Amino acid sequence: MGVLKETADLLGLAFLFDFLKDTIESIRKFFVPPKAYSWQTLIYLSLFSWLMSYLADGSVQDIIAFFGWAFLITGTSWYTTDKPLYVPGTIMPVGAVITGGIVSIFAFQNDEQMIARTIIFWPTISALITAVPEFFEGSGTDVKTQLPKLEDRESVIALIGCCMLLSCWLNLYGVTDAWLNNYPSVKYPIYPKEDVKPNDLVTLFEPTDRNPTNGLLMLSKFQLALETKLNGKPWGEAEKWLKPRNLATNVQDLETRVKNNIEQQNIDNGFLEQEFWDLKLEVSSIDPKDPDSYRLDLFTVWKGPSAAKNGFYLSKSCQIAPISESIEVIGGRSQKTLFAEMECSSDKPTYTTVKNPERFEN
Amino acid sequence: MFEGFDPTSSFQIFPFGIILFDFLFLLVAIPVEAYILNRRLKFDKRTSSFYAISMNVFSNVIGWVIFFIIERTPIFDSYRIGIINYILYNRLPENFSPTIILVGFTTFFGTLIVKFGLLRLMIISLSDPGDKAAEPEPEDTILLMRKSRRGKRVAWQSTSLLTTTLLATALSYTAITLVVLFRALTLANPQL
Repeated sequence: MGVLKETADLLGLAFLFDFLKDTIESIRKFFVPPKAYSWQTLIYLSLFSWLMSYLADGSVQDIIAFFGWAFLITGTSWYTTDKPLYVPGTIMPVGAVITGGIVSIFAFQNDEQMIARTIIFWPTISALITAVPEFFEGSGTDVKTQLPKLEDRESVIALIGCCMLLSCWLNLYGVTDAWLNNYPSVKYPIYPKEDVKPNDLVTLFEPTDRNPTNGLLMLSKFQLALETKLNGKPWGEAEKWLKPRNLATNVQDLETRVKNNIEQQNIDNGFLEQEFWDLKLEVSSIDPKDPDSYRLDLFTVWKGPSAAKNGFYLSKSCQIAPISESIEVIGGRSQKTLFAEMECSSDKPTYTTVKNPERFEN
Repeated sequence: MFEGFDPTSSFQIFPFGIILFDFLFLLVAIPVEAYILNRRLKFDKRTSSFYAISMNVFSNVIGWVIFFIIERTPIFDSYRIGIINYILYNRLPENFSPTIILVGFTTFFGTLIVKFGLLRLMIISLSDPGDKAAEPEPEDTILLMRKSRRGKRVAWQSTSLLTTTLLATALSYTAITLVVLFRALTLANPQL
């Protein structure tokens, strides 16, 4: 140290040396407990408990970790009640907020929604922690319960009420977020920002994908199901399937199968919204002169709430035509038979708002 | 009952407007009720403001908690999509009036009962334990009412408390309804 000070003196940097010394001194004062019975001891105990709980396992680990939490909570609350600093405009000390946060993490550490619960209950727990010291009087060794003064009681009750309301509002965010997670397609179609009328009840943030994922999934499953149904089938059978009087029920069957398939794959995202997706198939002839090939338009129609007044749909077009193939029959002769061949455009599905709602009425 | 959210995913929605409206309703209701309590029950200004604040804030909290509980039950399933449609796009479902009237009716009387209970609780919480022992328990009021003149006074106080709560709740709900109607009007005529 001495040499260092001499060098600094020679260089005319004594002020720097003093500054460094002060800093080190204050850091030392912060970290080294002044006496055995102080908040630093508790924090160190909690760190020690955590270290130990890493080495231990089973129920011992839980017990040691529990003590770690207890030491941390008492340590921080002690440190922060030593010199209270208040949240501006309230009677809540910042210390109570910090302690509340730690207590909240401790309370919900085993919850699968740990971070969410912690944030939601944080204000309420902080307010309760603020209220507790009002009911005690005296120093650490000599405590007696007391009823706080009238004004203190009033402000503590009001504070608890307001903090509980804050928790409710945070939970409301959780509820609306869950709604959008369960029904992700309600956000669509996404219009350019300048065309959107701002909503006064909720603020919608721009989603990351511009296409309704569930609709695309349904459409590709629909296409797959249709292909397995028709491709390679004898032409007569395929044509019968597509006859207008059979079509509605056939598509209905396919829809049930597609939805069951999606449910079985257990796609959590948008699991609930399947009931609002409808599958539609429109059959038309491509060319009047060629009655044997058809154009198939596949639609998945969103029937739930949507930014467009009448909803929107995704569509893809395919065509189906008979091809002749010869089959070997017993006896060495070959026979020509017509088979259905379905081909879908590889373009991205188009994504349109519904102009005339009658088109997709059941 | 309490919802979780995934903190790692980005915000897709935040109910700013609902929170602001809730806050606005409190701002409207608290002064109205504080004034009524001050006028009718002769509490001083500070005490009546405290009663109004705690009655409204706690009944609001209780209301939200009830909503969060109902939101999880199957009863709510048929309404959920309609509510989503309303909060996102302000579109009301067809034939909603019977439901909304029923819900409004229940809410009003539910709030009345809750607020009355809260007011009594708050009065107890502000009284000193020494005084409380001298005063009869609320449960005994009917018995005492027949026995003594003092009991009569307590019973009178109790009914007057209920009428005052009814008046305060009715007035604050009227004010809130006006705010809601004003919003509906603004939505119907965007140029307003």
